[in-house]
Amino acid sequence: MRLPAIRSFGPTLWGIGLFLIVLAGTAPWIPVFLLTVLIQLLIYATLAYSLNLITGLTGYVSFGHVVFMAFGGYALGIGVGTLNLHPVAGVALGAVVGLALALGIGVVTLRFRGVYFAIATLVVAVAALYIVLEIKELGDGQGIYLNIGFEPLSWFYTIWVILAIEVVFTYWITHGRIGYGIRSIKSDEDAAKTVGINAARVKLFLYALSGLFAGGAGGVYWWTLSGVFPYQAFDLTFSLQMLAMVVIGGMGTLLGPLIGAVAVYIPSYIFLTIFSGFQFIIIGVVVILIALFVPEGIVGSLRKYIPELRGILE
Amino acid sequence: MTHVLEVSEVHKYFGGVRAVQGVSLNVREGQVVGLIGPNGSGKSTLLNLIAGVERPTKGAISLDGQRIDRWPAHRIVGQGIAKTHQIPKPFLVMTCRENVAVAVMFGNHKQRESAKALDEAGRVLALVGLEGKAEVISSNLTVQERKRLEFARVLGTGARILLLDEIFAGLSPNELRDAIALFATLQREIGFGALVVEHVMRAVLTISERVVVIEEGMKIAEGTADQIVENPAVIEAYLGVEAARATP
Repeated sequence: MRLPAIRSFGPTLWGIGLFLIVLAGTAPWIPVFLLTVLIQLLIYATLAYSLNLITGLTGYVSFGHVVFMAFGGYALGIGVGTLNLHPVAGVALGAVVGLALALGIGVVTLRFRGVYFAIATLVVAVAALYIVLEIKELGDGQGIYLNIGFEPLSWFYTIWVILAIEVVFTYWITHGRIGYGIRSIKSDEDAAKTVGINAARVKLFLYALSGLFAGGAGGVYWWTLSGVFPYQAFDLTFSLQMLAMVVIGGMGTLLGPLIGAVAVYIPSYIFLTIFSGFQFIIIGVVVILIALFVPEGIVGSLRKYIPELRGILE
Repeated sequence: MTHVLEVSEVHKYFGGVRAVQGVSLNVREGQVVGLIGPNGSGKSTLLNLIAGVERPTKGAISLDGQRIDRWPAHRIVGQGIAKTHQIPKPFLVMTCRENVAVAVMFGNHKQRESAKALDEAGRVLALVGLEGKAEVISSNLTVQERKRLEFARVLGTGARILLLDEIFAGLSPNELRDAIALFATLQREIGFGALVVEHVMRAVLTISERVVVIEEGMKIAEGTADQIVENPAVIEAYLGVEAARATP
């Protein structure tokens, strides 16, 4: 597969790139309080792009993405706590575990379509918690505490690199030959097979990639909390937040997950400081309204109603 | 090399329903074979079996002597056998050009550069008379245009043996005449082989070198168009026993 030429990158990729470069350049001078918010935002953006790879691009709705994130956290716990790795290596291990897990789960669940796939991923997520609770090596139901320091800049640059790679990957696979294959599968999977597309392989590739990035994001998330704890790690709220971000931002778009992450995380962060719990009511209502009235999400709707933006936003 | 598709003693059961029962036939590249039979006789099922959409319960399907009956659909397309859908299934979110370009990129040609595939798609669209619709989103096409697009997509895969499921259905007499002429021209120029399932007798008898008749999943006759229309078994299948007796 050939890489697209740099000059063909388009305004959206340049824009996201510029945004990330400005963040990276100013990070050391950002107040720590604000930096930790920013780190959370980048983690959520990475998770949203991860879900976008499978749900946004192919239409296969996954409720189970929290599993990859959680096992990314556990890989970090084992890597740092037991194997004495550097936390960044622990995050890398988390990404690899996410990839391996996605391959294993995907081979089975991607045979189902539509609501059956969604239910299968949900079942996997629920079952995974109870399996982890029983495993002695994974904290015996208590989780893993890590004795590692408070290093916001390390967290920041680690998640920054993961997100940057992920955005470039998203751009790369949606342009050119494989991008056409993916759009065909989303449009009509049976027809895609009859023009020669190996739909099973394309879907598994996307799902594995998705698991890789979610695993890495999970590693960083639990690194910031100095440990990983089962009931929090497998909380389905993470899955729902990822879905909300992708739906609100715009399914299958390049900019949508980032916009969605900002649109969901910032308000829920603000509401969290007022009264906890209320934030999910807001997110729930917003997702329902978006799904009903602007199913294309923010980016999709802008493209639809303002034709001048079509060449700029993707 | 001339490709040969061979179907031998193929059966397909759906639970207790015996959709196809021991049908054998063959299609060579450059040869058009008609496949006719009453509604529900198993014609479309047979095409699906060859295309790899369904797997036969028993029997063998081979291309140039190699068994293909356990292969997934995309691999069969990669070997040069492609099928149209009875109800057209365009990629509704894409333009006509992109629809065909996908076939050029992933079919038998495997054109890896999307720009070249889009050019080639324009050429294929012109062959079927859809050049004016190249940049139109396919969800805006009429049913007849969708059928042409379906045909263009099969040509785009670079298939050497085409499986065509009722591509002439629903045309007015004038449209039918034009469509038959277009098909004959393309077939001569490109030299593909085709297995054509069709209810429109005029079309199938005109374009086919040989015709295979199936009824209730079994082959009841095979021969040239002239032989078929006089075959008592065929007349009986279509018009009943009395009509068959009345024919001299």
